[in-house]
Amino acid sequence: MSERIRKGMAMMLVFALAVTMLTVGGCDTGDGEGGETDSDITKGGTFNFYISEPAFIDPVNLQESEGTQVGQAVFDSLVAFDPITSEVKPAAAERWEANDDATVWTFYLVEGAKFHDGTDVTADSFKFAWERICNPENESEVAYHLGVVKGYDEMQDASATELEGVKVIDDYTLEVTLQYGFADFEYVVGHPALAPVSQEAVEADPEGFSEMPIGNGPFKMAEPWAHDQYIKIVKNDEYYSDVPNIDGVDFKILADQDTAWLEFEAGNLDFTQITPGRIQTTVDTYGESPDGYTLNPGEQVSLGAEQAIYYLLINNTDPALTDPEVRAALSLAIDRQDICDKVFEGTREPATGIVPPGIVGHKADAFQYAKYDVEAAKEMLADAGFPNGEGFPTITLEYNTGSGHEDILLLVQEDLKAIGVNGELVGSEWAQYLDKVGAADYQVGRLGWIADYPIMDNFLYPLFKTGSSDNYSFYANDEVDSMLDEARETVDADERVAIYQDVEKIVGDASAVIPMFYYRHTRVASDRVNDGVYSANGLFTFDTVWLSGEAEAE
Amino acid sequence: MVKYVARRILQMIPVFLGVTLILFALRIPGFLPGDPIQLIVGEKTLTPALRAQIEERNHLDEPIYSQYAWYVSGIVQGDFGESYQKSRPVRDILFDKFPNTFRLAFAAILVEIVIGISAGILSAVKQYSFWDVLVTLSTSILVSVPVFWLGLLLQMFFGIMLKQWTGGALYLPMSGMGNPPDFMHLILPAITLASVSTAYVARIMRSQMLEAMGQDYIRTAMAKGLTERAVVFKHALKNALIPVVTYVGIDLGALMGGAILTESVFSWPGVGREIFLAVMQRDWPVVMGGVIIVVLIVMFVNLLVDISYAVLDPRIRYGGAAE
Repeated sequence: MSERIRKGMAMMLVFALAVTMLTVGGCDTGDGEGGETDSDITKGGTFNFYISEPAFIDPVNLQESEGTQVGQAVFDSLVAFDPITSEVKPAAAERWEANDDATVWTFYLVEGAKFHDGTDVTADSFKFAWERICNPENESEVAYHLGVVKGYDEMQDASATELEGVKVIDDYTLEVTLQYGFADFEYVVGHPALAPVSQEAVEADPEGFSEMPIGNGPFKMAEPWAHDQYIKIVKNDEYYSDVPNIDGVDFKILADQDTAWLEFEAGNLDFTQITPGRIQTTVDTYGESPDGYTLNPGEQVSLGAEQAIYYLLINNTDPALTDPEVRAALSLAIDRQDICDKVFEGTREPATGIVPPGIVGHKADAFQYAKYDVEAAKEMLADAGFPNGEGFPTITLEYNTGSGHEDILLLVQEDLKAIGVNGELVGSEWAQYLDKVGAADYQVGRLGWIADYPIMDNFLYPLFKTGSSDNYSFYANDEVDSMLDEARETVDADERVAIYQDVEKIVGDASAVIPMFYYRHTRVASDRVNDGVYSANGLFTFDTVWLSGEAEAE
Repeated sequence: MVKYVARRILQMIPVFLGVTLILFALRIPGFLPGDPIQLIVGEKTLTPALRAQIEERNHLDEPIYSQYAWYVSGIVQGDFGESYQKSRPVRDILFDKFPNTFRLAFAAILVEIVIGISAGILSAVKQYSFWDVLVTLSTSILVSVPVFWLGLLLQMFFGIMLKQWTGGALYLPMSGMGNPPDFMHLILPAITLASVSTAYVARIMRSQMLEAMGQDYIRTAMAKGLTERAVVFKHALKNALIPVVTYVGIDLGALMGGAILTESVFSWPGVGREIFLAVMQRDWPVVMGGVIIVVLIVMFVNLLVDISYAVLDPRIRYGGAAE
């Protein structure tokens, strides 16, 4: 035993030594690489970026913001979006054209562009990538982006192995035929999931590709994805367009915002989310970006509008809620500004329609009842046969727990009480909540909707088309259905937008859902970030950003 | 002894089958609310083609008994199926995570043993002294402080304040495990994870030591003229250690599965957090695989604890006469 004890003592000593080491050792994880200065732009340095664990970074299944953030840096789709105005601009395609009814699109690719492994980006790379997405065996959850392309249905039901509508004219010309005219298709092909993929690379190492995809973008993967730890990308010196200023980006995968916040305060992150309740103090400390998107030292907080909306679902098939006047009354009773102030420190904007600002065609006050007017609400309710709410049943207000929605619905509950409507809060877990709203087993609920592409169609077609699987309010209107189809086929942009605006007005007059507020960014950059742009679609653009030299010498 | 061990191992089989059955029940549609397949895409569209493909791959389109047969035969061959959410084999996901959890759990155990046992001995030997009061007080505090709060506090102090005070020269990493994994990243999470158990170990050690010190054989040893040091370490400690070994052994099992909070606070890519996330996402294959492995580890550790009794205390002999 005595020997055992001696060993124990030795172990203790080692431990004590280790504890001492920590106080003298420290550990410098900072990036030591210096930068060469070119005028006042310091080239080089590594950008430390917080994300949570992505679902996928391979375009075949690129879906949520985290994976898309990585995917966008590693891949270039046919077109890209201006980070602030959301206008379509050339990327892998240098130009494109559509025929008169927008059913046939021709894309002309940049010649000589290469994948990170040195192979050429050709029309075949797009055909291969798109068919890879549509092949049910690959279980892609983003295949619906290509739903409009001819041959999609056949691939989905496995009766075809090729996308009939995608034709390779020559190495640098891609022709896409759609099932029906879709004038907004140029926006669709800007989605990062629709990027080109090298067949060679995938077939050489199918499993490795999803961990370390080989793209054609301004950055390339430095090493395979270290799950739950980090993803490292470095600049692609062979990029066909402007090579980025920074050496690379370290995506640090952290479990939650709070940890990320601590890391930011310790100077280990260059960009992170501001945790709830801290927005105002962060603005005071770091300064707000003048346009809400562009970040520079002293103007480090991004509070720009996002292409997303938070809305209340109303079950349009519920007997108590079929009357549009009742729904309008509920909508009028809600003090959105009050909720924005109390829950979000005023950093969200009350919604007056379903299409958020920053989308071409956005119109303020599109939903006439999406405002706060208690008197009007009472009148509407009385007109519907429930003066002062008498005789109106208690309705359920459902939400998914754990994400702060309860605070919002509590305030909604209070507001409804003011017009004599009693609401009962019902929280369930996300999985259960989805079951309920999917089965129309609810009365009033909540959801958010983020644009896949910055077009009006993306907010109207999925949410209000009869039978659409995203139409959880179960609104159905033949007129709206045919207008939505008509709009898609309208090539003239102004005419198209006008039709969508009419649709928005109709669903607004019917109060099919209750818009609550437009999301806003709540992110902050470190003081070494210059010309950084956190765009309206919630993705950071690494193409132009550069890092001040001062902080680099840490 | 061999017979005893063999019997204990055989006893594990029904336990193991019971666990798989209970876990498998999670998969039965309608048993728990929430459709795991829909959850893959959240509120977005789930195409029928995708659903069919996932169901086919996971044998969800077959009768329930045949699913169970698939599942158990898979496990026996080391195949835990594929994650619904990540489309990766569960085995790969868990292989990534278990070593990290082991690393953290062993570091925590080390803290528990070294600090807990020494504090306990110190406080018993110097009963009612300043040291005793200090140990009693600090263990009381540690036991009552929420683990995540302690974690945040340590991060704040060692990760941010210390770094600011020393101009960036001294600090401890607050999250992740380093690349390549290093010792520094282990320190804060290991201390956090070990906090409550260390306090318990110290307390158990203290009371056991005090009890042992009051025994007749100790008085005999003292009377023989042995030094206090020899008495404490040679005679009292050996007997006092048994409950501590039991505790530490059981705790290793608890640390394997119970590190969720610590792993979350420190973004430690371990199995606790993985299982927690998988439960939230109804990713049953990951939950089942993770829990089954944790159960196996706990059963194995318990076996080791029981065996180590016999080693520490000759009076405890299993299965009749000693070989």
